[in-house]
Amino acid sequence: MGTSDGQVLGSTKIVDAGPATARWNVVITSEGYRSDEMALFAADAQQFADTLLRTAPFDRLKAAINIFRVDVTSTDSGAKDPKKCGGTGAKPRTYFDASYCTNGIRRLLVAKNSRVIKVINKQVPQWHVAFLSVNSQIGGGSGGGVATFTKFFAGIDVAIHEMGHTAFGLADEYEYYSNCFESGHNKHSGSEPSQPNITTNKNRDTTKWRNLIQATTPVPTTKNADCNKCDPQPSPVAVGTIGLFEGADYYHCNVYRPEFDCRMRTVTQPFCAVCQQVIVKKLTPFLPT
Amino acid sequence: MHHARKSKKKAKPKKKPAKSSSPPAKALRLTFSYDGDKVKLISQQRTEMIVPPSDPVTGFRQQKGFWAEVKSESDKTLYRQVMHNPTRNDAEVFPDPDTPGAGISREPAPQRKGVFVVVVPDTEKGNEVTLSRSAPDETGPESGIRALASKPATEILRFKLKK
Repeated sequence: MGTSDGQVLGSTKIVDAGPATARWNVVITSEGYRSDEMALFAADAQQFADTLLRTAPFDRLKAAINIFRVDVTSTDSGAKDPKKCGGTGAKPRTYFDASYCTNGIRRLLVAKNSRVIKVINKQVPQWHVAFLSVNSQIGGGSGGGVATFTKFFAGIDVAIHEMGHTAFGLADEYEYYSNCFESGHNKHSGSEPSQPNITTNKNRDTTKWRNLIQATTPVPTTKNADCNKCDPQPSPVAVGTIGLFEGADYYHCNVYRPEFDCRMRTVTQPFCAVCQQVIVKKLTPFLPT
Repeated sequence: MHHARKSKKKAKPKKKPAKSSSPPAKALRLTFSYDGDKVKLISQQRTEMIVPPSDPVTGFRQQKGFWAEVKSESDKTLYRQVMHNPTRNDAEVFPDPDTPGAGISREPAPQRKGVFVVVVPDTEKGNEVTLSRSAPDETGPESGIRALASKPATEILRFKLKK
C-alpha cells in the first residue's frame, strides 16, 4: 500500500497565465488512476479547469490563475470502500491510500494528505491551493489541506465549495448542523465570526458588507419566525439582493448571511456577491500589471 | 586637446517604496500536523511566490474562528490569514443526488488527524507566527462531539520564523 503502488510521473501546466512566481497556482493531482488511465485523468483535470474558469468570479480573473496537473499513477483504480460503512469492500492499491468511511462516515473520502503535499511541494513549489481527483464514481470527498473529490455528480462543484473554505476563508452559509429539525443549534450565541461572509451584526451601518447593501433593502432582510428549525420562507427579495438573511454558520437564528443563496450554502449555486468580492480582493495581486 | 566631456549623470528617479498592501514575492510555506486538538509545526520552506493580501490586522481580538498571524518583534500583527478551521472535529458531508431535498450536512469526526499548510510573507520584520482557534463550547446546549466553537479565539501555537 502507498508509494510502492504507483509512480509520480510529473506535472503539466494546463492553464498558463504566466510565471508561477507571479500567479495564483492551482494544482490538481490524480489518485486511483492506473498508468493506462492517465489520459482519462488529463481529461478530468481539464474539465475541472474549464469548470473553475467558467465560475464567477474566476471567469474574470483568468489572467491571474495557473492550473497544473500532477500525474501520479496507481496500481489499481478507485479508492478503498470499506464494508463497515455499507461500501463494496473494494481495497484498490493506490498511491495516496484514499479511502471512504473515514471516521466511520460513508462519504468522507480522505487520502494521505501529507503524502500529497510532499509530492506537490516538489512538483509545483509555488502552489496555493491543491485538489485530489479520485478516480471513483461513488460520491464523496473532503476539505482541509487538500480538497478531495470524485467523478460523481457535482464533484467539481463540491471541490469549488471546498476551495471557498481553504483558499479564501469563507464560512458555510447553511443554517443547520445535520438537519433542519435538530435541537441544539437554534440560536447562535457566540462572538462575531472572523469569516467575511457571515455576521452576528445586524446594524446596517456597521455590518461587514454594508457597502453592498442598498438603502431600500430591509435589514434584516429575513427573520426566522421559529428558531427550532430552518426558516422555510422563500426569499422576499429579488435574486442577487444583498442584505442580512437570518440563518448561517450551522445555526437557525442570530447569525446572518449576505444573500438568500450562495455556493457556500448550496454547492450548485453561484458564489454570492460578498464571497465574490472576497475572492476578487484576494486574487487581484496576481493579475498582470 | 581632447577634453573628455563631463556628463552629469541624470539622477535616477527614486523608486517609490512599495505600498504596504502590495504583497511580497517571497514567502514561507508552513506545514502543520494535527491530531485531535494538538497542532504542531512540521516544516518551514522558503519559496518565491506571491502571498494573498492580509485579512484585517486590527479589531479581531473578540472574534471567533481560526487564523494565522505573522508578528513583529514587538508582537504587532503584520499579516493575518483567516482560515476555515482545518482541525475541526467534524466533517462536511455532501448529499446523494438520489436523496431528494437533501443538502450538505455535518457529521462529528472526533478522530481527525492530518496536515495543513499556511503560506505567509517572508519579510525582515516578520519574527514569529501564531495560530489562534476558538475551542468548542462545552457548556452550550449542544455539548460533546457536536459542540461548535462560540468563544473568541485564543492562541494555540507560537514559533519563530526561520531567518
